[in-house]
Order: sequence, then C-alpha cells, then structure tokens
Amino acid sequence: MNNKSEKIPKMKIENAKAQMRKGVLEYCILLVLDGKPLYASDIISGLKEAKMIVVEGTLYPLLTRLKNTGFLTYRWEESTQGPPRKYYELTDSGRKFLGELEESWGELVEAVAKVRLKKA
Amino acid sequence: MKKTFTINISGTVFHIEEDAYEVLQKYLIKLKNHFGPGEEGKEILADIEARIAEIFIENSTGSQKVVSIEMVNSAIEIMGSPEDFEQEESNEGATETETEETKRQRRLYRDPDHRVIGGVCGGLGAYFNMDPVILRIIFVALLFITGGAAFLAYIILWIAVPKAKNTAQRLEMRGQEATVKNIEKSIKEEVGEMKENFKKMKDSETYAKGKRGIDAAGDVAYSGIKVLLRIAVIVIGVLLIISGFLGLLGFISSMVVGHSFVQGWPMIWSPEVQVPGFLNHFVNPGTVTFGLIAVGILAGIPLLAMLFIGTKLVFRYKTNNTAIGLTMVGVWLIALFSLIVVSVSQLGNYKSRSSVTESKIISCDLCQTLVLNLGEDKYADYAKMDFEIENLKVAVVDGEEVLLGHVNLDIEKSGNEDFAILIKKASRGRDRENAKEVSESIIYRFEQKDSTLFFDPYFILGKGEKYRGQEVSITIKVPEGKAVYLNEDLVKIIHEIDNVSNTWDGDMVGKTWVMKPEGLTLKEE
Repeated sequence: MNNKSEKIPKMKIENAKAQMRKGVLEYCILLVLDGKPLYASDIISGLKEAKMIVVEGTLYPLLTRLKNTGFLTYRWEESTQGPPRKYYELTDSGRKFLGELEESWGELVEAVAKVRLKKA
Repeated sequence: MKKTFTINISGTVFHIEEDAYEVLQKYLIKLKNHFGPGEEGKEILADIEARIAEIFIENSTGSQKVVSIEMVNSAIEIMGSPEDFEQEESNEGATETETEETKRQRRLYRDPDHRVIGGVCGGLGAYFNMDPVILRIIFVALLFITGGAAFLAYIILWIAVPKAKNTAQRLEMRGQEATVKNIEKSIKEEVGEMKENFKKMKDSETYAKGKRGIDAAGDVAYSGIKVLLRIAVIVIGVLLIISGFLGLLGFISSMVVGHSFVQGWPMIWSPEVQVPGFLNHFVNPGTVTFGLIAVGILAGIPLLAMLFIGTKLVFRYKTNNTAIGLTMVGVWLIALFSLIVVSVSQLGNYKSRSSVTESKIISCDLCQTLVLNLGEDKYADYAKMDFEIENLKVAVVDGEEVLLGHVNLDIEKSGNEDFAILIKKASRGRDRENAKEVSESIIYRFEQKDSTLFFDPYFILGKGEKYRGQEVSITIKVPEGKAVYLNEDLVKIIHEIDNVSNTWDGDMVGKTWVMKPEGLTLKEE
C-alpha cells in the first residue's frame, strides 16, 4: 500500500486536495461569517488555522463572487491602524444558502461514513 | 544605498525600494491580467492591494514605512500567485477570466518611470514590448534623417499621450499581450463568432423558418460589420498616421529646408517650391516670416490632427479630446485671422499705379527700314524656376536672385519724321509716389547697331525691389512712308500689333511692314 501511494505523483495529490477544498471553501467562508461580521484578515486567519486555504489570494475572488451573488454584504469601518476595513456579513439569502449547504454537507459526511463502514 | 519610490497602496503611503517596487509592480500586473479588467476584477484587485498594505504595515518596524524586497516577497508568498488560485478556483471562474482575457487591450501611455525626456519612448517600449533604448536610438536616427520632423512628432506624442499616473494605467500600459498579434487574434475571434452565427442561422432555417432566421441573419450581419469596422478603423488609423507624418515632413522641409524630402511619394502633397525664398519676391522678409508661421499653423494643424486621430485609432490612448480639439481650432482660427490681416495690409502695397515713360529718337536719317530684332536671352541658362506669376521670372546670376519680367512691344504711327522708341515702365505701389519710384527702378535695355535694334526679352526689377505688378511696354513710332522689318524672334515680345490686314502676330514676323496713312501695311515685294 505504502509503496503504491509513494508512486502517485505529488501533483495529483495536491490537485485532488485542492478539488476537495474548493468544494467546501465557500461553505467554510459562510460558516466563519455566521453570527458576526468580520473583515478579510479575520476570515483568513480563521481559515488558515484550519488549513482550508494555502494562499490568501484565493479568498478575495470568492468573497467578491459571493457578494455579487447576494449572499454577502459589506460595510466600511475605520481602523485605528492603516486604511479602513471592509467588514463582510451574511445576508438573509446568504444565511438560507448556508443552511442548505450545511444540510448537504451533513448528507455528504454521512454518505462517506456509510461507504467507509460498508467497506470495513 | 538604495533608491526608493513613494507609493500609495490603498490609501497608505509607503517608501519602497527600487527593486522591491519592480517586483511588486510585476506581481500586481500578473494579478490584474488574471482577474481581468471588469468591475469584479478591479474590486478583487483593490481588496488584495488593501491586504498587501496591511501586511506591509504589520511587517514594518518603526514609524518609517520602508518596504524592502524581502517584505514584498513574503507578502507575495502569503497572497499567492495566480497559478495558485487557479488550482483552487472553481472551473466557472476559470472560464470567466478566459473570456475576459480576450477583451483586454493595451493602451499607450507615457512611462514616467522609464523616461529620459517625456517618457514617450518608454511608453512606446512598453506598448511594443521593446527595450526603450532601441526606440530611443531609432528616434535619434530619425531625427537626423528627417531633419527635425521626428522631433515634432515627439512633441506631439508628448502632448497628446497621457502619462500613466496610477497603478491601473501602468498596468494598462504594459501588462497585456502585444499589438499586431493581439489585433489579429481579436479579429480572428470575431470572424469565428461570425461563422458561428452563420451556422446558427443555417440551423435555425432548417428548424423554424421566419423570425428566428431573420434575427440570426441580423447577428451575422452585425458581427460581419463589426469585423470590417475594426479592420477599417486600424487601416484608417495607419493611413492617417502615414499621410499626416509625411505631409508634415514635406511641409516642414518646404518651409525650412527648401526642398521636399518626399517628392517621390505619390500620395502626398510635396511642394517643390522653396516657400520662404519664393515669397521674398513679393513681401518683406519680416512679413514673410510672420505670414509663414500663420500658414504653417493653418496647414500644420490639420496635418497634426490627422496624426493625432490616427495614433488614437491605432494605439487607443485616452485624451481630453474636447480640450485638444478646441485648442487646435482656436489656434487655427487665430492663424487664419492673422493671415487675412497680413494679406490685406500687403494688398495696400498694390493700391496705386503709376508709370514713367522714356522716349528716344532713333538717329537714322538715311534708313528707310528699321530692323527690329530680339536681343540675346542672357538669362536663359539661369532660369531657376519654371513658374510664372503675372509674367514674373526668377533667375540666379552670380549667386544673386534677379527678377525678370516679359516686355511687350507695339508699333504705332509717328507724329513726325523720325523713328522713336517709347519705353513705358509702370508699377503699382502704396501710393502714386511709391509706384513711380518703383517704376523708375526698373531696368530695361535695348541696343542699336546701325539700322538694327536689339530688344532684351526681359526687363529687370531694381535690386531689392519686390514684385508690384511691374510692366514694361515698348512702342516703336514709325513715321509715314518708312518701314520696319520684324525679325522671326520678335514673336516672343510682340502682342497684337495693329495693321491694315489684321494679320496675326505670328504671321507678321519675317516680313517688312510699311507705315501708310491708313496704318501698317505689308510691304509688297
């Protein structure tokens, strides 16, 4: 088993990981924002700790896209250090969307668990 | 020691070291290319810039916000490169940026970071993806070849092309794929689109005839027109640049140097006349200079406008069209007005007319027949220009310009027993006095050898005199009963001599004519 996994090209593993992360990244962003408005750095530090993102640049297009879809909204807040910050928060439709995502994530986890259990 | 720039990222001012600045700029260009020029792309870029500013603030020590290359590199590592995002972005996002990519185009700006004079070569270098040094060498070479016209072109570009002031403009200045290839690509794409539309139309015809087909036909026509328009715009732009530039070149050279470089070019106006020298024969040099400046502006501004519009069509740079247009029109009108004023004041020099007449009795009691002959044309070999304005001719003798005019010879009946020659010199001038002075300065010679008279074909304007419509007419007074023989050459200066048989000038020469009471009559052999 071990020998085999070593032969899998590194690119492929990275790619698969990225694919998996990609699917749940939007869900995670909404999850982090659930309850309290945050600005980009806070969102990033939350996701970075959980190793959900590798580079920060990934986040900004996603935030913008979620905002343009109407799931997020933002407001400017003055900062004591540096430029004013963009604080993102969930909209009503964003919360609804998050609820749906949570449901399907639950189903997904359950499904994976079932498949594993059956194999074992 | 390192040179630093002051930059403003997202509202915060930083001092950045030169090498760090280069790296940061390249990185931002890459990001901009990745996210595209749309609203969304701009917003993402603004967010990323804000975050980079934050990272710089976090990492900078002390109150001095100096950004080093290490700080830029670590910020880039944190933010990640476009390749990193691509892996993590959704597929929809990837295709989105791809379609946006085809729409992006480069604009021409002046590059304030790579400039020697105005940043024109630097900007062109960025536009054509070339080392500005090469362009500068070409420019200097052109400067020598075109004798200053290239300098004018540089000034025009300096004025017309905007400076890249902010990051977005700097990005537009270089970032994107280059010129001919890019244009070709976008044309190809539009041709492809057209083909697709055409296919769609064909398909829809088989499924549902009528409205859908018509709609699709409209689409096909629309894309077809779009492709044609774009090609036309570029072709027109290039033509405007070429003709504007060559026009200016020919114009300037005829104004200053005296001969056109571009005589061989068929499509453009190429005067062969040295305008200043030419005008000096009519008006004073000071007025010539002033008038020439006015004429230069009058003719030059439309040519400049051609060049300007042409470069705009091809390079798509942004300008304040209203301001430039109004300035051009304003300056043009002022030039027109000045020229009219100058012309009117010059016309005053032609207001009055006066003349002086000299008469000479030919002392030849014995001769019955006076032979009229043409003198040697001393200026035939000197004729400088083959143009004539009101019988004016210019010759250069021993390095000095001589203005010549054609004379006119007539034959009349004399009131007494002697042959006589009347030479009437006439001219225009400011007033009668001036006109008379000018008339007196006219030089005209004829020679007598026994019974033969030799008339110079030209009269000469007095040294330093301007053209004021000078004329010289010679009248030969022939007493009754005596005759004149007109030599063949004389046809050049005679003009409708009255005679009883109404013979044409051309038929009068080579014959002897007798003055009879009723008039000049052909002598019967």
